[in-house]
Amino acid sequence: MLNFFATPLFALGLYDGFPFVLGMHIPDGFLSLPVSLLTWVASIVLIVLALGQVKGEYQERTVPLMGVCAAFIFAAQMINFPIPGGTSGHLLGGTLAGVLLGPWAGSLVMAVVFIVQAVLFQDGGLTVLGANIFNMGLVGTFGGYYLYRVVRSAVGFNRWRGMAAGVVVAAWSSVVVAAILVAVQLALSGTIPLNVALPAMVFWHVVIGIGEALITLIAIHFIWRTRPDLLFDPPNRRSAVSARSSVLQR
Amino acid sequence: MLFHIGTFHLDVDSQRQSPWHCLNPASRIVCAVLLAFATALTPHGRWLTWAIYAVALTIALLISRVTLTTLLRRVSVEFLFVGVVLLGTLFHPEGEVLWQWGWLRVTTHGLAVLGSVMLKALLSLLVLNLLVMTTAIPALLNGLLALRVPPLLVAILAAMSRYISVLVEESNAMRRAAAARNLFMGDRQTRLVTGNIIGSLFIRTVDRGERIHRAMLSRGYAGLPRPVEQLTYRRCDFVAVTLTGLVTLLGQAIYLF
Repeated sequence: MLNFFATPLFALGLYDGFPFVLGMHIPDGFLSLPVSLLTWVASIVLIVLALGQVKGEYQERTVPLMGVCAAFIFAAQMINFPIPGGTSGHLLGGTLAGVLLGPWAGSLVMAVVFIVQAVLFQDGGLTVLGANIFNMGLVGTFGGYYLYRVVRSAVGFNRWRGMAAGVVVAAWSSVVVAAILVAVQLALSGTIPLNVALPAMVFWHVVIGIGEALITLIAIHFIWRTRPDLLFDPPNRRSAVSARSSVLQR
Repeated sequence: MLFHIGTFHLDVDSQRQSPWHCLNPASRIVCAVLLAFATALTPHGRWLTWAIYAVALTIALLISRVTLTTLLRRVSVEFLFVGVVLLGTLFHPEGEVLWQWGWLRVTTHGLAVLGSVMLKALLSLLVLNLLVMTTAIPALLNGLLALRVPPLLVAILAAMSRYISVLVEESNAMRRAAAARNLFMGDRQTRLVTGNIIGSLFIRTVDRGERIHRAMLSRGYAGLPRPVEQLTYRRCDFVAVTLTGLVTLLGQAIYLF
């Protein structure tokens, strides 16, 4: 029961690596009516609120910026990399989106990515789209962002050590928590008993979360060194206060 | 297969003539969504319901004249990935024990859940593939607008669908460049380079977003998505939506008779 829900995109020949994928995109038919309904309601509320917030913040730049950023997450999710422990996986990107774009724009972008994956590529079901957005967008990105903020503030907001700690903790936990949520939802739906789903999902995603944390950390480190002004919460350093105009700076 | 020429082409059958193609995108979305939700949200073990839906879907597939080989290839690939998780549904504590080995045991209940989930996943995949293979992305987006999905969300979806292949190509180019310089040496190094590629891709993405925004402004964009292109509703639209509604109701109500 490796790789619980893998990504069909890889098998369609879009990527030349071997199709070992993480992924927690639940397919259609695995969740019951109450579970689907509740997660749909939560996701729709999230999307509507996020649309309002993002429109207020980015004004008429919303469409092009959110569009390309969603395409960026989509492209980043297709890149395969080795995970410590001998397997390989790809980025989920929830925490990456949260750290780069903030909680509202980040979760909106993730929701858009899941909608496109479900509708156009059948990667994750349509009826369980609500659950997928809930697990990885709402909890992974929105929750992940605030976890990262808390850890970063505790260790040192303007130092790389604080940033690194926040990113690692949030990225790893977002993957593991999403895996736990998937297991619980499958159990509540009567599809897979909790004593089968939970150990398999958690065991596997504890390892996969390490890969997610490492890659997110390296990507954020690259941006921290080169264009710290692009981060949603840029460090308050002399070097960061540059005259370069930045779209994503608040 | 999909991304090699700058854009992807999912709607291989969108130019055909058939009763299904006479429906406007909004009605197609309504029909597909109705059937997919009814199929996937029916509780485990309602075999008769899925039999009715399967018959209806087969008829729809045949009259829509989709390329069956392409459909089957896509569905089988997508189903392969569903298949892995299906195993987990087999091991339930309830029900009559059919087979036991140590603590592993397969029960009648587990088998029923496995069969139900498999059927539901398969039927839903077929429904969605029918929609995507026969309807081009701009038509789908237009249908969503007509169905009162927030225009801002549709505009973001449209922008994303246009730039997916651009950004995938950009990330492939960066990985090709790294591979050509022999940078993917060992796991640690590979992770480092991959992470840097993703970071650098984000910087390029933001710059591209700025460029797109300026280009849109120069063409007179004022922050509002284009007005909805009015869809025409003909008799076949009403007939198809009504029929789909009746079939979904029949599938649920069959146990009353």
